[in-house]
Amino acid sequence: MSGLRGLRVLVVEDEPVVAMYLEDLLEALGCETIGPASRLADGLALAEGGGFDVAILDINLSGERSTPIAEALRARGLPFAFASGYGAPPEGFGKNVPMIEKPYREAQLADALARLRP
Amino acid sequence: MTDAPAEPLPVGEDEFRMIADSAPVAVWVTRLDRKRSFVNRAYVAFLGVSYQEALDFDWRRIIHPDDAAQVLAQSVAGEASLGTFELEGRYRNVHGEWRWLHSTSQPRRDAQGHHIGFIGVAHDVTEAKTAELALREREAQLSAFISQTTAGFAQVDIEGRFTLVNDRFCEIAGWSRDALMGGMTMQQITHPDDLARNLPLFEKVVRDGTPYTHEKRYVRKDGGVVWVNNSVAVIRRPTGEPFGVLSVTLDVTQRRADEDALRKSEETLRLATEAAGMATWELDLDTMEGAWSPNRFDLLGMPHRPDPRGSFDEWIARAHPDDRAMVREAAMRCFTAGEPYAITYRIVRAEDGAERWLQSHGSRIDYGDGRPSRFVGVSFDVTDRKRAEQELRESEARFRTIFEQANDFLITTTLDNRVTSVNPAVVEAIGYREDEILGRSIRDFMDEDQFAIGMDAFNRKLQHGGSTRLTLKLRAKDGRELIWEVNSRLNLDAQGRPVALHAIGRDMTEAKRAEAHLRLLIDELNHRVKNTLAIVQGIARQSFKDDVPPPRARAAFEGRLAALSEAHNLLTREHWGLVSMRRIIEDALRPHGEPSRFALDGPDLSIQPKTAISLALAIHELATNAVKHGALSRPEGRIAVHWRRAHVGGVARLALRWEEAGGPPVVAPTRRGFGTRMIERGLAAELGGTVRIEFRPDGLVCIVDAPLPEGAA
Repeated sequence: MSGLRGLRVLVVEDEPVVAMYLEDLLEALGCETIGPASRLADGLALAEGGGFDVAILDINLSGERSTPIAEALRARGLPFAFASGYGAPPEGFGKNVPMIEKPYREAQLADALARLRP
Repeated sequence: MTDAPAEPLPVGEDEFRMIADSAPVAVWVTRLDRKRSFVNRAYVAFLGVSYQEALDFDWRRIIHPDDAAQVLAQSVAGEASLGTFELEGRYRNVHGEWRWLHSTSQPRRDAQGHHIGFIGVAHDVTEAKTAELALREREAQLSAFISQTTAGFAQVDIEGRFTLVNDRFCEIAGWSRDALMGGMTMQQITHPDDLARNLPLFEKVVRDGTPYTHEKRYVRKDGGVVWVNNSVAVIRRPTGEPFGVLSVTLDVTQRRADEDALRKSEETLRLATEAAGMATWELDLDTMEGAWSPNRFDLLGMPHRPDPRGSFDEWIARAHPDDRAMVREAAMRCFTAGEPYAITYRIVRAEDGAERWLQSHGSRIDYGDGRPSRFVGVSFDVTDRKRAEQELRESEARFRTIFEQANDFLITTTLDNRVTSVNPAVVEAIGYREDEILGRSIRDFMDEDQFAIGMDAFNRKLQHGGSTRLTLKLRAKDGRELIWEVNSRLNLDAQGRPVALHAIGRDMTEAKRAEAHLRLLIDELNHRVKNTLAIVQGIARQSFKDDVPPPRARAAFEGRLAALSEAHNLLTREHWGLVSMRRIIEDALRPHGEPSRFALDGPDLSIQPKTAISLALAIHELATNAVKHGALSRPEGRIAVHWRRAHVGGVARLALRWEEAGGPPVVAPTRRGFGTRMIERGLAAELGGTVRIEFRPDGLVCIVDAPLPEGAA
């Protein structure tokens, strides 16, 4: 997975244990984790701040949806993937946005990142 | 009188009335519309009704049937002519008597000469008319006597030998004058079957002069038979001694044949009516008795009689006690006032006491010629019809009850979607009054797209028949959306053509809402399961690190899984609502030592489920560490957990401290494992605050400073 080495990944995930796990996975892939952000406001702030190449957005953040972060990223032309245990991508985001299913699988995560990488 | 229109009368109004009222003849004034605007006293008296009723009275009702056609035709023609016209006919007065009235109607004109109606006057000409009729009758009789062409004359001696005959007699009897006068007797040409009746009469007229009239048959020379009506009287010499008998003979063969035919047709009619179950009866209003048809006895359950007559009282006795008064009253009104009746009533049959329903019609027949009035009636058994009617009524009532009380919505419409009936459930659900619904199009109760769905289904039924079942959204009066499942079908007439539509609807609003709620729950459950699996995945990853020996890793994993599970238990008990922070901490600590080793102190805050899981996992990690390296690794070790609401600058915050005491001297770990990470980063992120672990020599301390968690009151 040397292809992903050095990729800076913004992680927005509200479940601490899951966020940690994702962080470990990314580390194993040679990526750098930005965040993780567990709340919508924090995630939005990080997204606006930049300094990352791609983003992984948990759709459901403690009852809020991460759609505003996705819109901000799209506005800035930054690639991102949604992560969700269940359900479809939020309205307005079609097939071009990869979906990463929870529980995570390392291979799926790597594929998604490879697609997103600029 | 106030109803009289303000029309000019021919003379001063009061004067006219006074004159008219004192006139012995009936006087009336009609308007252009043929309504009477005035009638006088004699007019009112003839009818025997009130003045107002007399104005409105339809005089056609009282014209004698024999005169009606002619009088009506002449009256119509007369009115149309706008000229003077006269009518003559018999009218029944208040006493039921037929009176001959001769009326003259003269046109009325206003000052400009315009026709404005008629003034009529009617004279009672009954007496004159009767006299005229009597005269006419006598004249007819006389002329019959003297007319050779009508009556035959025959004279016989006291032995019956013909002594004189005219041509007409020869013609009637069918024998030549020569043959008759050549010694034949009237006994010879009389039909043998009639002789037994004839001879005693003949002997009596010869013996004491008693005249007689009778009908008998002659046997003609050609063998033919002729019926004659003979009026017979004795002829005496001037001395008074009888020398012969004179007979005036009329040929009544034709009349007899007619009567026969009539009898036969009456018989046929009787048989027909009896076959139709119609019993007939007559009543002589003097004796209150009359002939009953055989099936009338059957109908009333009475035995047949040799003389098939029955009485009024016998009939009334059979009427059901509850109906008897009504029956008697209707019959009496008919007898006395000539008012025909049609009644339906119950009888109790004589032979078996069975109750039956009869329908009876009765009329009084008035001859108008002095003969007494008679009564004729027909009755038939309508029990089956009544029963069917009753069943229908009950069935209708049952359906009506279902219609009224059904929870389902019952609706009928015309083929152009107009509502013709709705049951109360519809009114209740949709919020419009019944009169606001009936006659309106179903389009008025739904949005256009829904109407299109309905029309589509309607057209399908028109083309293919059958019924349709669809879900329609309707609009209640208050704007609420109602979701109905509607089954509908076309009503067909006997020829199979659609004539209407009926629909049964059921409210699916609640069901749809419940369905949506259930879907939401399933989605949520799925989300939680996936989330929990992700957490388990994370815990597994942290537990099974390469540098941890498998047995230890397994134990750590099980412990963490148990903590997660325990937190879930509490959440499930609380239906994934807010949970008690104290309970979460207690549950997480329980596997790690006796409750006496823990001192928990703080307000009972409520926290969100997600926060509860993170807190439970963090407490688990702290306690696990305490068991391995800290206070709980020594019997005398204790742990205090304190928390409180803190107010910093008006914002409520949570301050929580975990303090260990009585353990071995604390040594800060060289590397930070999952536990530390979970507590310092995971819990901090979850709470949105800071969590700090201090490895103080006399005991580990963990300090939480965070905004008061969402849901904590």
